[in-house]
Amino acid sequence: MKSLERVFATVGGQPKDRPAFVMNLSLYGSKLAGVPLQTYYTEPGAYAEGQIAVREVFGPDLLLSPFLVPAIGEAFGSEVTAYKHQVPNIRRFAAVSASEALKLPLPDVDSQPRLVFLRETIRILSARYLGEVPVVGVLVSPIDIPPLVIGIEAWLEALLSEPDTARALMDRWTPFCVNLANAMLGDGATLIAATANFANPTIVPPRVIQGIARPVLEAAFGAIKGPIILHHGGALLAPYLESYLGLPNVAAYFVDARDSLVEARKTLGEAPVLIGNLHAPSLESETPESVRSQCETILADRAADARFLFGTSAADVPLATPPEVIQAIVDTICHAGIGAS
Amino acid sequence: MSRDWSGELVSCIRGADRVAANALLDDWAKTRSYEEAVTDLLTPALEYFGNLWADKSGETSLAQGYVAAKVAEDLLGRVLAAQEAEGRKIETKHGPVVVGNVEDDYHPLGRKMLVAFLRSAGWEVHDLGVDVPPDVFLDKVQEVDARVVGASAMMFSTAKNVIGIRQEIDRRGLTGRVQLAVGGAVFKLRPELVQEFGGDGTAPTALHAPDLFERLWQRSLSLDPVVK
Repeated sequence: MKSLERVFATVGGQPKDRPAFVMNLSLYGSKLAGVPLQTYYTEPGAYAEGQIAVREVFGPDLLLSPFLVPAIGEAFGSEVTAYKHQVPNIRRFAAVSASEALKLPLPDVDSQPRLVFLRETIRILSARYLGEVPVVGVLVSPIDIPPLVIGIEAWLEALLSEPDTARALMDRWTPFCVNLANAMLGDGATLIAATANFANPTIVPPRVIQGIARPVLEAAFGAIKGPIILHHGGALLAPYLESYLGLPNVAAYFVDARDSLVEARKTLGEAPVLIGNLHAPSLESETPESVRSQCETILADRAADARFLFGTSAADVPLATPPEVIQAIVDTICHAGIGAS
Repeated sequence: MSRDWSGELVSCIRGADRVAANALLDDWAKTRSYEEAVTDLLTPALEYFGNLWADKSGETSLAQGYVAAKVAEDLLGRVLAAQEAEGRKIETKHGPVVVGNVEDDYHPLGRKMLVAFLRSAGWEVHDLGVDVPPDVFLDKVQEVDARVVGASAMMFSTAKNVIGIRQEIDRRGLTGRVQLAVGGAVFKLRPELVQEFGGDGTAPTALHAPDLFERLWQRSLSLDPVVK
């Protein structure tokens, strides 16, 4: 079975030869390809080279565009610091408040260099793996863009104390987010992965979810012309999945490693794909034996779940993770012999 | 029936409503002082939320923590303004301590909450901001003779830079005297990293930081009682 077929079989709840899996090896590809991070996160060809190496070495069923959400902040004018051993991070925001952010020009998804970088990686990878491996366009939903442009504190302040300004900002930025997602789909992405942390009850109160976040997600996701993976973004998701149910085009839910897969499935029902559940940032301190055991537990737990897709959650698999640990995960999944029914 | 001021403040914070919380405190201060509000209203409310947040089954949000910190900050501002207006000397009860985000970490929210809760508990806090190199932490520690340094990091990749602070403490011969408190999302998720990176302690939430700092301060005194 090709990866694309395996993933589609998972979406359709159909038989497959083994469970499909996705790992956040966006960063790790630089190690496999031997590309310095400064180059890796600026040159589409270099990034694609890393992901091709990921595919050849570990064979995940989905490949990711750069897991590089600070690039979206950069597109609005935030400043980013590059590192030798970790993903770039925002060090200075483009604006200090939501009202100031309203005055920022919208980045052009066709010409803004950082957005072009993200899109070009998708074009290269999707052309390379056409009909074989789905490529995921990694984004954030509109409600999670302001933390990249004005910071978490200023966005919380707006959502809590200046709801009209927060709504105005979302009215302005939602079309941008939709345009970018649709451009990525046009570039060859099979799915869009997006976080929605500021619609999560662990982050904001119900009045913000009901009054701002949920309407924003409905508008944005409804206008995206392809399937969406709702990513937990580092927050617990399973206990709060009801807040997200019914959002248009959401085909899969990617939960946190602390979440219960049983609880998540119970809330979601049978239809959507459920993705989880190893914590990627912890893998560098694991051993092949320990991850094998964890994988076996997860796979046994989901043995009867036809729409389960194995995944590593949270941020990137760290560069220091021994390849044997990743290979042990891959081997355990490939030899699982389950999910084929 | 008397008004349940404390319960109302808890409700305001639970609803993440900073405006209502401040209005409540202003109402209180019409007949009593803002200083009394710290002990009679804010402290019990923060204790309540501290317990709630420590209880993993409790439904709590970042917004509630943020508003609790802002309300503490707002109230302290009013207390200080009142003290200055009366010509009283502003005194802190504990410290000094030094806090900051570790090198390469640009996530200030948790640290700002920490500072608000420490100050509301009477600590003298020297806040160095984000992206603080180890030598800058220790220069300030030695300048103000702090016994506790608080290092905040959100992500695993930056939390490793706590190791540099540990090494700088040891390199300057301050082991034991200077206690290293660490905090941030990554340490909550992976508490084993506290020891692995050389921390002396952590707290489940920013609200619990005053207790942690007090414990570490006492440990410092027991290990090195010399007052410089």
